Amino acid sequence: MSAIVCSHVDKAYGATTVIRDLNLSIEEHEFVVFLGPSGCGKSTLLRMLAGLEDISGGEVSIGGKVVNDLDPGDRGIAMVFQNYALYPHMTIFDNIAFGLRRQKVPAPEIRKRVEAVSRTLGLEPYLGRKPAALSGGQQQRVAIARAMIKTPKVFLFDEPLSNLDAKLRNHMRIEIARLHQSLKTTTVYVTHDQLEAMTLADRIVLLKDGIIEQIGSPAVIYEHPANLFVAGFIGTPNMNFVDVAVGRKDDRWSLTGAGTVFSIDGSRFGLRGVSRAVLGIRPPDLKTAGAGATGILQGTADLIEFHGNDALVTFGSGGKEISALVPARECPVLHAAVRYTFDEDAIHLFDAMSGASLRKQ
Amino acid sequence: MPRRSSLPVAFVAPTLVILLILSMVPTLYAIVIALQNRELSSTAYSWVWFSNFVDLFSDRRFVNAVWVSVKWEVVTVVATMVVAIGLGVLMFEVAAPRLRNLYCLLFIVPVLLPRVSAAFVWKFAYHPLYGIATYPYRLLTGGLIFDPLSKPSTALFAVASVDVWQWGLFFAVIVLKLLETLPPQPIEAALLDHAKRWQIHAYVTLPMLKAPLISLMFVKMIESLRSFDLIYVMTRGGPGVATETLDMYAFSQGFIESGKVSYASAMAVLMMIATVITFTMLWKRVQA
Repeated sequence: MSAIVCSHVDKAYGATTVIRDLNLSIEEHEFVVFLGPSGCGKSTLLRMLAGLEDISGGEVSIGGKVVNDLDPGDRGIAMVFQNYALYPHMTIFDNIAFGLRRQKVPAPEIRKRVEAVSRTLGLEPYLGRKPAALSGGQQQRVAIARAMIKTPKVFLFDEPLSNLDAKLRNHMRIEIARLHQSLKTTTVYVTHDQLEAMTLADRIVLLKDGIIEQIGSPAVIYEHPANLFVAGFIGTPNMNFVDVAVGRKDDRWSLTGAGTVFSIDGSRFGLRGVSRAVLGIRPPDLKTAGAGATGILQGTADLIEFHGNDALVTFGSGGKEISALVPARECPVLHAAVRYTFDEDAIHLFDAMSGASLRKQ
Repeated sequence: MPRRSSLPVAFVAPTLVILLILSMVPTLYAIVIALQNRELSSTAYSWVWFSNFVDLFSDRRFVNAVWVSVKWEVVTVVATMVVAIGLGVLMFEVAAPRLRNLYCLLFIVPVLLPRVSAAFVWKFAYHPLYGIATYPYRLLTGGLIFDPLSKPSTALFAVASVDVWQWGLFFAVIVLKLLETLPPQPIEAALLDHAKRWQIHAYVTLPMLKAPLISLMFVKMIESLRSFDLIYVMTRGGPGVATETLDMYAFSQGFIESGKVSYASAMAVLMMIATVITFTMLWKRVQA
């Protein structure tokens, strides 16, 4: 049975539609990440699941029960907010116990459960303190404890790590992953950070302007992006795009663009009837070209970003900016002429008009 | 080290001196008069030291005035805060933003009225025969007379209602604005934590607003001490001495009934000392 089902869900503020006809089903124990640029409706969707936003149309069910008209407290969910949303005047203990007290759980049981949860999250030394006396990471842990103690059917995380510094963010990300491994609670996690999405998710739901662009495991989304937007959004550094004209030549396909011709076998793609396409190639898939290589992207290296193990070389080729991620020891000097080639297996092709992937299903 | 300039002192000193004179001289003069036996009817006086104060404590009308003052203070402050918080929360919960602004506008109007005007308006509203406030009673009882301002048991509350009408509504606007400044997330978190709407306010929003609410209460406490004009217009301390607060009694002793200025001054001095002590203690307690 699916833990969460959204069918034909709409959300509108007055005349502005934020989410339209969204269909999604989330399995039990699954960790699903809503990913997308800001303003794509991912937080709104999460808040609709939580009951903090009205559902303008369609139906949302959690655990097999339609929850459209249920109060947030009655949906069997718990939520962790971006800015922690702790009760500032209460001690950590009272913060964690607040929900149980409202449900009239007997005091000895509350004490037992708060102690158990705070042991799991390492919060025992802070139970008597106020939130202001804790660091950001500790406060977020309290927020997670407050969510955990309710033993909900579903955890909702709304950009929980955005307010933390980079190092702490890594640390908390690992903690959340561990927690999900041990609790196995169905989790919906909203973020705009693709690293978080890639590392935490069982499945990623990629949203843009309130529409699902692609749903899939991190590997599928990275390796087989469904369209230009997904390809450009996922992956750091960003995928290179070259506009090409598609032609047929001696049983092979030729792609002409960026001042060069790429000859490909093309059996992976449905190229028949396509005249213009966009060729996508990820920077790590570009390799320094040998002397006899064909289909070469070349130009003058005008920016070199050193990353440690490797370096990102940016150059102009046929009026397009292209980036290549090369091992640091192969890094050219600034303003040197560079030549890169790639394997046909590494390329992505998209329809120039619709942006949809031309890969055969 | 450069020598400290004396220029700032030169600028600040005259103002400070004027302020000191303005605030200290009348106070000191009141204390001096309280130790004498001056009367309006003659220029002769002698030093009687503390006998005015001793007399006060055996004056039953003074003891009554103290009791009325305390009652007035408690009733107006508590009622104002209850009305302010109740109405503020109600507006926050029920009214749409545009309607809220309209309510705010309406609720600020009473406090803009000069006290004396408000007092006259309500004095007429409480009129037993023509008043709009007593109209429902006449309607329900078929024309029986109810005169809240001339019954000792209701007079104080009737006058206090005007004070609450002015300040409670105004403070309700402030409470609403305070609630609107709160971050929404703790409220949402409480919603997810199974809290009912009233519990959200009782356990989350109002405790988060504790400091500003206490400040509001202090403002109202100080304001309530200055009730002279309101009471003077509406009841002149009556019926009998039912609404005679300390300042009313001091005024009538000093200028209306007997012209015993020193006796009135002694009351004023006592009131000042009591107020300073009470407020200092309360302030310390709140700070702790």
